[in-house]
Amino acid sequence: MNATHSQNLRLLERRLKWLLALRASVRLMTVWLFLWGVTVLAARIAGLPHALWLAWGILGVVPIALIAAWHSHKRLPAFATLRARYDLLNRCGGVVMSEETADTAAWQDRLPSDHAPKLRWHSGRPMLLFSVSALFAGTALLIPERLANLSGHHTLEIGQIVEQLKTEVQVLGQDKILEDKKVEDLQKQLSQVEKDSSDSDPSKTWEALDHIKESNSQAAKQAAEEALAKTTALTQAETLAQAMQQAAEAGMSQANASQAARDLAGMLAAANLENGVLKGGISPEMAADLNHLSGADRERLQQLLSALQFNKNSLDHTVSDLAQLKLIDPSMLAHCRAAGTCTNGCSALAKYLSTCTNGCKAGQMCLLLGKGGPGGGGPPAPLTWKEGSSENDLKFQQHALPPATSLADAHLVGLSRSAPQVSDNTVEIQSGALMDAQGNGGSAHAQAILPEHRQAVQNFFKRDGQ
Amino acid sequence: MADTILKPEELQPATDLARKTLEQLDRILLGRSELHRLVLIGILSRGHVLLEGLPGLGKTALVRTVGQILKLDFKRVQFTPDLMPGDVLGAHILQETASGKREMVFQPGPVFTNILLADEINRASPKTQSAMLETMQEGSVTLLGTTRALPQPFFVLASQNPIELEGTYPLPEAQLDRFLFRLLFDNVDAEVLVRIISERRRGELPAPTWQMERQQLEQLFQVMGRIYLPRPVSRYIARLIAATHPGAAEATDAVNKYINYGASPRAAIAIAEAARGHALVSGRPSVGFEDVKAVAQPVLNHRLILNYQARFDRLTTSKLVTELIDRMDETGLNLPKDVEVAAG
Repeated sequence: MNATHSQNLRLLERRLKWLLALRASVRLMTVWLFLWGVTVLAARIAGLPHALWLAWGILGVVPIALIAAWHSHKRLPAFATLRARYDLLNRCGGVVMSEETADTAAWQDRLPSDHAPKLRWHSGRPMLLFSVSALFAGTALLIPERLANLSGHHTLEIGQIVEQLKTEVQVLGQDKILEDKKVEDLQKQLSQVEKDSSDSDPSKTWEALDHIKESNSQAAKQAAEEALAKTTALTQAETLAQAMQQAAEAGMSQANASQAARDLAGMLAAANLENGVLKGGISPEMAADLNHLSGADRERLQQLLSALQFNKNSLDHTVSDLAQLKLIDPSMLAHCRAAGTCTNGCSALAKYLSTCTNGCKAGQMCLLLGKGGPGGGGPPAPLTWKEGSSENDLKFQQHALPPATSLADAHLVGLSRSAPQVSDNTVEIQSGALMDAQGNGGSAHAQAILPEHRQAVQNFFKRDGQ
Repeated sequence: MADTILKPEELQPATDLARKTLEQLDRILLGRSELHRLVLIGILSRGHVLLEGLPGLGKTALVRTVGQILKLDFKRVQFTPDLMPGDVLGAHILQETASGKREMVFQPGPVFTNILLADEINRASPKTQSAMLETMQEGSVTLLGTTRALPQPFFVLASQNPIELEGTYPLPEAQLDRFLFRLLFDNVDAEVLVRIISERRRGELPAPTWQMERQQLEQLFQVMGRIYLPRPVSRYIARLIAATHPGAAEATDAVNKYINYGASPRAAIAIAEAARGHALVSGRPSVGFEDVKAVAQPVLNHRLILNYQARFDRLTTSKLVTELIDRMDETGLNLPKDVEVAAG
């Protein structure tokens, strides 16, 4: 074949291959961009969380390029057919296409001048559709969120709250405060609330969440109060047991030991450890032996102490969990940890037990000792009162009282069941022209009254009353 | 590569001979260059030609002139309803010999010639028409069990008058199919008429200034046999013939609507041969798509059987073939519709 004709033919084949690939790419890209745009738009309207939409869109180009290349390869006409078209277009009269099976060397110089055929792609419509698709996809991707949210049915951003409540329910379940079935029901209920939440009716969602929150809080408070009562009883019993150990070493009488053991058994029975939400308790054998317990039986006392400590730890753990989830007030945790603790420890009680002669009440003594007092105390004694101190010749330090308005001018605004808020004397204006200005006085202020002034204040009000 | 196409020095003498023949025809018969070209192609393809046109358009003159230029034996038979097969083919005649014996002697009919002009062939009875079948197809005549070969080359150039159809016997499809071309004689334009009036006194034709020798005609036939037909072109011919059948893959809507029966494989062979002749006359060693297009019309003209709907819609085979050729992609590139390969 003439070298130029041969080159032109190869060039034509290459160009046609690229053109077919480009054409297939544009068509596939048009469809892909449209589908991608629809998907993105639908996802945004549905309020689905943001995903890597742009990355997905770009990722789709890879298979499109592969498919286009495959399509181009498949659609490319056979070389003999291309040669025939080349022959026709260049008016070679069949000489060029005869090269497939015949020797045409003698005619190469007589062939008409060679012109590489031109490829034309009437791309108006495909390119228009491609542009529209691209525009649509870009719009779907870049449209502001407020415009995309046309559905009017958007879920509330309550995921964090629901997760917190689920954790609370889970912890309450783990601590056996709630039954397993109840826990399961609540978890399902929370999931359903999250799923059904809608900005069209947020109050319904919030009410449901508040209800569950309240339910959790109530259960937690009930458990905490129970834990407080049980911890108090356990601590007192522990103190008494420790006192019995020490008193036995100090020579406690058998009668006192028996009495203390009965008291101890009574305290544990009153604690009612086996019942309630937070179940615990000591083993039945140990409970049965409590009435026969003596201070000298160190091993059994130690076992009892260990059992009591275990129960206390369990309760403490539960209360700590509740406090950590803020289901109860942190002060409740402190109360539980300090519950039933004798300020003087068990040494005073041990001394009492060892010295008591005419029937001592160990539990009662523990309570009395717990309220403090100098020394180890002793048997009950009558209180003696001396003469009251005179107010004559006493010099009071003078303090200016804040200006007060007459109570006659007061108006009843409302009644509060809770204690009024107490603030210091300084009032700061938070907004307006008087911002940062400070003022003092007014009936809304509470003034701390020193102990030495209390009598004067009372006298003042007595005079008003008269 | 198995074949070698004709070399320029081999082709050129044959092309020159063909062109000289055409020059003579064009000089003697005015204003019908394309028709002369097709008649010559028909002869080079060893095919028979059916000439159709009104009286006085020069059908007989054309055939006579061709015979003169090619220096071939020429006979004319005027077909009439009472013409019998023996009048055309020949007959056995009882003759008395010198010894006084009587024996049957074969008297050849006018068909024993190189060029037979069957004038107004549609006026003969079907019996006589069918007598031509063997002569046209086999180039021989069989009478009383004896087959006699016709002189070679043998061409039938038949004419028929499209009007005055009363008392005529339209050629059956089987006989029509044996004609390579059906050429339509149109009226010449006014300028040609002026030349005819001024240059042809009493309609006498000038004598040819050059005549082809028998050896040269054989040379032409030999070169004709070596014109190369590339595979894409033969594929195009096959697709074209297939597309004339209703329901074919590439059949046009008009074909599906108006044609009852498409062209036969004999038509494909005819197109291929005629395209070779066209390539030779054009001076090319191989057949191109343009050669096929040039001869497709006269080859298919009489081979497509139209239905009544076509007659009602006044549609002719020429229009259908033209539309088919225009719509068909020669190379079968099968590219998408919006992609086009155009000349540079």
